[in-house]
Amino acid sequence: MTVNLDNLKELLLSSEKPSRYTGGEYGFPALKESAFNFCICFPDLYEVGMSNLGIKIVNESFLERGYCADYCFAPYKDFGAGLKKLGVPLYSLGLKKPLGEFHMLGFSLQFELSYTNVLYMLDLAGIPLLRERRKGGNYPLIAVGGPCAVNPEPLADFVDIVFIGDGESVDADVADIYVQCKGATEEFYDRISALDGVYLPARPAKVKKAIVHDLDGAVFPSKIAVPNCESVHDRAVIEVMRGCYRGCRFCQAGFIYRPVRPRSVETLTRQACSLIKNTGYGEVSMNSLSTGDYPHLRELIKSLKSNLPEGVTLALPSLRADSFDGDFAQDARRVSLTFAPEAGTQRLRDAINKDITEEEILKAVQSAFDTGYSAVKLYFMLGLPTETDEDIDGIARLCALIKGCYRQKPRKKQLRISVSLSTFIPKPFTPFQWEKQADRVEILEKQARLKNSPHMKGVMLSVSDFFTSRLEAVLARGDRRLCKVIKLAYENGCIFDGWDSELNREGWEKAFAQAGVLPEEYTCAIDENSVLPWDFIDIGVTKKFFLAERAKAYSAQVTGSCRNSCKGCGLMKHCLRAKDTDDDSV
Amino acid sequence: MIAFKYTKTDGAEYLSHLDLLRHIDRTLKRAGIRVNVSEGFHPHPKIFMNSPLGLGVKSLAEYCTADCVCEGDFKELFNACSPAGVKCLAYKTTDFNPNYANTIESCTYSAEGIKPFDTREFLARANITVTDKRGRTVDIRPRIYALEQAEGRLTFTLGCGQNNLRPDLFTEILESEFKGKTYGLIKTHSHGKYTF
Repeated sequence: MTVNLDNLKELLLSSEKPSRYTGGEYGFPALKESAFNFCICFPDLYEVGMSNLGIKIVNESFLERGYCADYCFAPYKDFGAGLKKLGVPLYSLGLKKPLGEFHMLGFSLQFELSYTNVLYMLDLAGIPLLRERRKGGNYPLIAVGGPCAVNPEPLADFVDIVFIGDGESVDADVADIYVQCKGATEEFYDRISALDGVYLPARPAKVKKAIVHDLDGAVFPSKIAVPNCESVHDRAVIEVMRGCYRGCRFCQAGFIYRPVRPRSVETLTRQACSLIKNTGYGEVSMNSLSTGDYPHLRELIKSLKSNLPEGVTLALPSLRADSFDGDFAQDARRVSLTFAPEAGTQRLRDAINKDITEEEILKAVQSAFDTGYSAVKLYFMLGLPTETDEDIDGIARLCALIKGCYRQKPRKKQLRISVSLSTFIPKPFTPFQWEKQADRVEILEKQARLKNSPHMKGVMLSVSDFFTSRLEAVLARGDRRLCKVIKLAYENGCIFDGWDSELNREGWEKAFAQAGVLPEEYTCAIDENSVLPWDFIDIGVTKKFFLAERAKAYSAQVTGSCRNSCKGCGLMKHCLRAKDTDDDSV
Repeated sequence: MIAFKYTKTDGAEYLSHLDLLRHIDRTLKRAGIRVNVSEGFHPHPKIFMNSPLGLGVKSLAEYCTADCVCEGDFKELFNACSPAGVKCLAYKTTDFNPNYANTIESCTYSAEGIKPFDTREFLARANITVTDKRGRTVDIRPRIYALEQAEGRLTFTLGCGQNNLRPDLFTEILESEFKGKTYGLIKTHSHGKYTF
């Protein structure tokens, strides 16, 4: 069965941006049904999902082996409600096939606040939410993967398969085994549970994350679908490296994506040229967790500039202040520059292992101003472990120093400083995984203290919503008891929780009460000796290392970048770090 | 300059006018056809489209002009690189801008589903006053150029540009008077000095 768009005309026309739901994108792979039909499901809007590189890599890995790999994104409320009313099941973009008719659905979990959207999509597809209820029925396998899969327990009741780690090969290995076993038989589960990176919530067992060692040889799409309506990052994206040398102690990505694996300049140039040729985009974004640390950055920029068509600009997101360099950051005629000092004082920056000095920040800002930038955006976190009032005042002080930098010379435009304050969220697989999250009163006091500082005059201050941060913390460190809460929250109407405008606070509060679960149980400090809900997952970094890093945080000791020397996190066997520490970069 | 006629079908009828412009620009880039850009601080490609088509209305007669030179078969190059449903049907090289947004005066559409009615009587009315979506009272009669019904299919020509009448609005008006439910609404021809 396929869904005919002409029958949805009225719904499409009454929905916002109907081209989200029509498919037909240029560059969309030509699909036909195969021995294994997979559909990647992105639990957020089309514009967000179409910007995600990971799901395209995963789909390419299926296509490469001759399988069908389709896409589906969470429809916005208007279209979702309309489908439900018409009794039309949620369908894939390419084949327009109801999700229930695929062999496997793979949900990409980019952040915790998308969990209710997973249920929303299953529900719209007419698929029972609970694994138990699907037993014996003719339903697709429900899989999840992506960064949040490192603690899959809050979704354990809903999913059949969890993919942990790199998705380049193991996802499609599962398809091979499915075909060999002629379905989801006991033998199928036995065989896939032996793979690195596969966890079956129905059969709890220790599991190692999947690691792709050679990113140059790894599957990567040479063409990607160009979204029908403008996506959030409407440009070609290359992943210059996976992992980050830094190890900031609050940052989950910095640990779960280890070891650092840079791609070669040749591979990246080839991938960028192919994407530009096949999309018609005017910009290439060089993505990674910290692109300034890419060992061959200058060489790469030179190679891209000489090989890409004239007029194609380069974007470097995730630049650290100490790697900012006016001559290449200038490329795309930008006026605003973003840095993330994260903390206001040197002591606290050292405690979180941010490894950046005030001098480096000011030097970077100065060089940005001198090359014509007139706006700076700064990211800080409130509620970090060991934080004191002095650290809050430090944020204001830093803003004052930046204003001073700007005033040193006469400049044409007025300076704009914006400060974005998020709330610290303790995440699994970080040295801060045992930490308490500051409570509402504490955070409000900290926010107020900063707002009232005279140095903050003229600074645009935006603060993140505390309720959202707390919910994220609860879900991030959650266990199986939260399955019930998430399901109740969905039933209470919670979807798109990550969208400020959509967050249904009452729905969540009611769900916690109905399930008899106290959110505070998940945001308080955890004893170092207790068993963590995610302990059964081996991401390669040892608990010993996390404990040592936590101790160093309390004495404000910096560990520093892996590029300087190996810190012995546990992944030494898999890490090439020592070899490519050359100094031709920044 | 190249003037070309193209479709908006197969889901592309849900592309907004601005998105469509972006897609035509990118299609030409992928096809390796260089479009001249406007001078100024923010140069943009010189691509000129006809008046926006209402969302959800299919078309076999959209027109566009691109300030470019193309060696080779434009239609073939364009169609190999365009999204589904945005396909070139014919093209011409021109030394001036036909300015389709202003020169297309009327368009012919076809639709099914409206119950048979006396089209002659309808056209004989001196005026047909309706309230448009913004609440204004308009006489649409001068904007209706032709109307025929044969074998359940309605073919009609409406004013475009200065004398514009949206085809979906028109079928709604017919639906409310003569009953039925419109389906298969599609623009089949555009009429103007420079259409082909």
